Amino acid sequence: MQNEEFSGQAGLDLIQSMINKARNQFGENGHLYLVWGWTILFCSVSQFVLKHFFDYQKHYLVWMITWLTLAYQIFYILKYKRKERVKTYTRDILRQVWFVFAILMILCAFIIGRTVGVDSEKTLTPVFLSLYGMPSFLSGKILQFKPLEIGGMTCWLTAIVALFIPQDFLVLMFGLAVIVAWIIPGYLLQRKYKRELV
Amino acid sequence: MSDFKELDPVLHSQLRLAVISLLISVKEAEFTYIKEKTGSTAGNLSVQLQKLKDAGYIEIVKQYKDNYPQTICRITKEGIDAFEIYVKNLQSYLKVKK
Repeated sequence: MQNEEFSGQAGLDLIQSMINKARNQFGENGHLYLVWGWTILFCSVSQFVLKHFFDYQKHYLVWMITWLTLAYQIFYILKYKRKERVKTYTRDILRQVWFVFAILMILCAFIIGRTVGVDSEKTLTPVFLSLYGMPSFLSGKILQFKPLEIGGMTCWLTAIVALFIPQDFLVLMFGLAVIVAWIIPGYLLQRKYKRELV
Repeated sequence: MSDFKELDPVLHSQLRLAVISLLISVKEAEFTYIKEKTGSTAGNLSVQLQKLKDAGYIEIVKQYKDNYPQTICRITKEGIDAFEIYVKNLQSYLKVKK
């Protein structure tokens, strides 16, 4: 790029092109949506299978896998941050949204576990599903990506449905919610990201 | 160049305008990122960044990351204001010309 003066229209074109270059850089690659989506889907289906087909008493232990996913997420974010050459407001806000989501999940699990006790699954499932919808919907709005918005709203719908289905099938609602809220948008984001890189 | 009298001379240069347009869209960016996106040479970019800094339009932070020197640039409030005025003036100039 030269360091010389130019016409008015060329100036506006230059501004537009630089803003577009910056915007294309911040595309979300969908990786963490897919990692979490598949983890939750696996846990949800595995718990259902262990409980119903094998009558395994500690079926809920399968959810311990999420700690491994969390460790991977921390590792991935740290690695990504080291490589990051540009910081954007969008990414900052998105990180805060997911941070709030994680805090709310832990708090709700703790509070409901303490207050409701043994029968907490019936309360926890719709509450968790409602929470799942929040980061997806907000991310969709921030990234202007409709599939995430639809995914978030689907989570809220499954939260209502969860109130009317037998307790034995509740865990499958998590799988259903993450397919629409994280897995499908994750693949769509991945495709969009690869296309923008070209 | 009399038509451009009202345009800020600091911004009315291809590379400096490109840098400001890039920085207005982000929180901060590394020197290498700006160099890549503007397609400029390191030497020319350094000189133009210094001019923007002298005008108070950007901040430059030099630090070390993983034992390598790193230069980070971010736009200032004055830079944002100057950019907005520049774009407005450019648009009104184009309207007058039409």
